[in-house]
Amino acid sequence: MNEDTLILYYYNDGLSKRERQQVEAAINSDAAVAAQYEALCRQLNGMSEPDIAAVPSHTVERWHDAIDRAARQEHQKEQLPARSFNPWSFVWGAAIAAALAIGIGLNMTRVDPEIMAPAAIPGAFTRGVQVHFRDTFQELSSLPAESAADRSMLALQIIEKNRFFERAAIQNNSQSLARVLRAFEPVLLQLAAEDISPEDAAALQAQLVFELNVMLTKLSRDASNETDTSQPGIQT
Amino acid sequence: MVANLQTPGTPTQADFHAAISDRSDRWFAACLKITRNRDLAEDAVQDALLNAWNKRHQFDNTARLDTWIHRIAINAALQLLRKNRPAAFEPLETDIEDDADTPETVQAEYELGKRLSAAMTHLSEFERVCFVLKHLEQWRLKEIAEEVGSDVGAVKQAVFRAVRKLRVRMGSLKGEQA
Repeated sequence: MNEDTLILYYYNDGLSKRERQQVEAAINSDAAVAAQYEALCRQLNGMSEPDIAAVPSHTVERWHDAIDRAARQEHQKEQLPARSFNPWSFVWGAAIAAALAIGIGLNMTRVDPEIMAPAAIPGAFTRGVQVHFRDTFQELSSLPAESAADRSMLALQIIEKNRFFERAAIQNNSQSLARVLRAFEPVLLQLAAEDISPEDAAALQAQLVFELNVMLTKLSRDASNETDTSQPGIQT
Repeated sequence: MVANLQTPGTPTQADFHAAISDRSDRWFAACLKITRNRDLAEDAVQDALLNAWNKRHQFDNTARLDTWIHRIAINAALQLLRKNRPAAFEPLETDIEDDADTPETVQAEYELGKRLSAAMTHLSEFERVCFVLKHLEQWRLKEIAEEVGSDVGAVKQAVFRAVRKLRVRMGSLKGEQA
């Protein structure tokens, strides 16, 4: 009997009911076919291995973090409209909304307060990240909101670049910068989804642009502080 | 910990954490078998987790959360592989072997550290993907064909070739070990 047919019989897939019955009959009636099938089963059953592979603990931690960030993100999104509609007083509500917008906006950046001790990060790497943030900022700012496919493609490209810089940050011993880069990912993944409404996409875009702007300011400030303190004559 | 705002029955943040703690090594192993690249496998698991989280309201409560994520992770691995190595999805009509081992694939095989993995290095990418999905992940031929953008006939042939090569390779590896 054709061995390919026996393989399909073994997998219980790719044969019609009639073909299966024919194979079954051949196995039951022909000792040679039965032996051939038995040998095949033995070999295919032997093609297995434990489903376990060692995963570094920091990688598992990264996956836990990803869920926490996505949940936090969602929670913040759900909180925003509820807080901005205060039924008691429009003026009071507007004031609260303004305060919240600033507060939540700052909070939403999820930038680690201990972000980057500049001296610990090589200057070239920081500049590379700055260029990446600046490019991303410009790309997101000029992205036409109506094109879901373009938006999705751009978001996926940014995710790829972000992951590259995240790995580089880890290699440069900058866990905090790696966390910041990672924090962009859930928002970018939402932006990459083609089934979100243009309003949601615009909100996510605005959020990312805001967060990138904060990071660019932070990195420029840190870089200039570093330059100032490293100039001869300034140190006391 | 962020409060859960989901509807009853929808997997919670705690459910996801429990699944990661219990099963992420298996998701990673499955993705590693598909991609043969650690970084891609790690990214596939992360993509799958975020995708599953965003779609958790669609989760069928009669299924297992970890099994659901496992399937999403395999899909994510295939997507990343398609994007990074499009040739993996081009069936070859000949029995050309994939001998172009890179340090990363060698490292991946070393980490898997198994006879089957060593033998699988001699399959073409298409054969390997089809074999892993059919033999190790128990997908239907039709599902594989849909996922890799091919037809059932090409997938069958790839599985046949893979089985044939693996039987020979594993036989000789067994001989070497004895």
